[in-house]
Amino acid sequence: MTSTAGVTDSAGGAPPAVAEEPAPGGPGETRRGLPRPHLAAYLVPAVVVCAALGVYPIVQMVRMSVSDVGPATLIADWEFLGAENYREVLDSDTFWPAVRATLVFTGVLLVVDLVIGYVAAAVLARPSRLTSAVLSLMVFVWALPPLVSGSVWKFLLAGDGLVNSTLELVGLPAVDWLSDPDLALWSVSLVAAWASLPFAILIIRGGMLAIPTEVLEAASLDGAGPVRQAVSVVIPLLRPTLAVLTILVVLYAFRSFDFVYVMTSGGPGTVTTTLPFLAYQEAFRTYSFGIGAAIASVLMVVIALLAVPYAWGVRKEESA
Amino acid sequence: MSALTSPARRPVRLPRPGTLVALLLGVVYLVPLLWIVLTALKSDEVIASQPNAIVFTPSLSTFSDILEVASTSVWTSFRVAAAVTVLVLAVAVPAAYALGRRTGPWWARVVAWVLALFLVLQMVPQPMAVIPLYGILAEWQLVNDVWGLVLADVALLAPFAVLLMRPFVLGIPTELYEAAQMDGASGFRTFRSIVLPMLPNGIATVGAIVFIITWGEFIYATTLLTDPAQLPVSGLLAQQTSLYATSWNRLMGLALLTSIPLLVVFLVAKRRLVEGLSVGAVK
Repeated sequence: MTSTAGVTDSAGGAPPAVAEEPAPGGPGETRRGLPRPHLAAYLVPAVVVCAALGVYPIVQMVRMSVSDVGPATLIADWEFLGAENYREVLDSDTFWPAVRATLVFTGVLLVVDLVIGYVAAAVLARPSRLTSAVLSLMVFVWALPPLVSGSVWKFLLAGDGLVNSTLELVGLPAVDWLSDPDLALWSVSLVAAWASLPFAILIIRGGMLAIPTEVLEAASLDGAGPVRQAVSVVIPLLRPTLAVLTILVVLYAFRSFDFVYVMTSGGPGTVTTTLPFLAYQEAFRTYSFGIGAAIASVLMVVIALLAVPYAWGVRKEESA
Repeated sequence: MSALTSPARRPVRLPRPGTLVALLLGVVYLVPLLWIVLTALKSDEVIASQPNAIVFTPSLSTFSDILEVASTSVWTSFRVAAAVTVLVLAVAVPAAYALGRRTGPWWARVVAWVLALFLVLQMVPQPMAVIPLYGILAEWQLVNDVWGLVLADVALLAPFAVLLMRPFVLGIPTELYEAAQMDGASGFRTFRSIVLPMLPNGIATVGAIVFIITWGEFIYATTLLTDPAQLPVSGLLAQQTSLYATSWNRLMGLALLTSIPLLVVFLVAKRRLVEGLSVGAVK
């Protein structure tokens, strides 16, 4: 570690003359070209961009959520309402079903990404021509725009789509995947899970490849079979990776909007209206910007709370 | 190497369950892609009479119908994605460098705060951020201008790019910095001739991911650039999903044509994507 000389330097935005003083600490460290005052300069462009076009919109969004903002007042001065919008949101009969839909969506993603993701990662961690081909294919699918993967699944799951015609071919009845109110949410969630699974597999696989081979050899010498090994060696070692992945999946699910938009537009009725989609609808279909902003703000608080364990997990991962 | 090595010797060589799982995954991910291609090759008559036919006379009529509109959108999206990628890297690489240096407790605190800020910024619900963003860009006369969308995307992706880039900077051995200091290299020279040459992998990985995400981003793209003469790819696809919901051959044809640039990026960066995503996302 370097000496504390730099603390005063950087805090005072010191001129180069000061920086040339020899450091009291580190031997051999001439203080010419001291990096510290410069380091902050490297941050400036990113911070400026994010402040102007990242932080400012958040501030506006929170302001909007406590104001009366409609299509006519968007550009005018906003009337302050206090918690009125929030009260209206919590009392509305669309909010809690949307919370439920968001939770189902998140649950499906978690189960698919973690359980299937784990098994698939274990399989795809073995080097072979087949596994590397499958992995490439999956990463390409991950790279496709959600509009593309959402549309093709909408087509596949349509009333006369490939899935139903295959079912009929083997003598099973057709299913209304996207128009049956009991099924639509599950279908959309599964497609979103399909699209995010490659990412989950990459992360889990990365964690698995980092496990030293000796550990697994030792376990196998002790007579542990594949399942035993997974339960008592691999999963405990992967816990930090799996924890971070869990939070990433939850964050993704809480923001996810694309597949709902493409496949069902929130319907039939409102069964697939998740919270981000509800916020979008309030803002852009009924132009209740204040209400939409209130929903988004609630969502953001939840997301920020979830981010705390993420940041904590990352720090642990890094020091490990 | 593998996580679950099978026991050394087995009496009978059945196809291993792992092979079956890999094949199943391959099918589940390949069929939709094939379906895009097959559907795009169906003429209007075929798609109307037998939408799920696997054997049919392929036709390029759909492609010739959509080629013009698709190429306009691809060109717009290409300009946007290229500009966003360059600008995000220009902003994020120096920032990641600053946040990846460990030079003392005071700086460590700055790093922690800026990282937290970037983390929070990544979590803004985009459908809402777009409203104030629209206001700002309107004030700058940049709505319906490619540069407005570029700026919005840069702000959206810069924090993510910094977080993704930082592990690559952390991987630079500290001895190199010490050597640079011994040589009396200035701060900027250290960055330019020590740090940058160590980062081509990181820059390629982050650049590819930023390009891919920009290409697929659609909330900003459909709200900030609605000029029909220069609709980005997402705007065009969103328009098709609502207008021609039943014209599947057209939609799949557009999906196919507009994904070709992604295929190119993917083929160039495949290995880096596989490695970069598993490292960057966790750190």
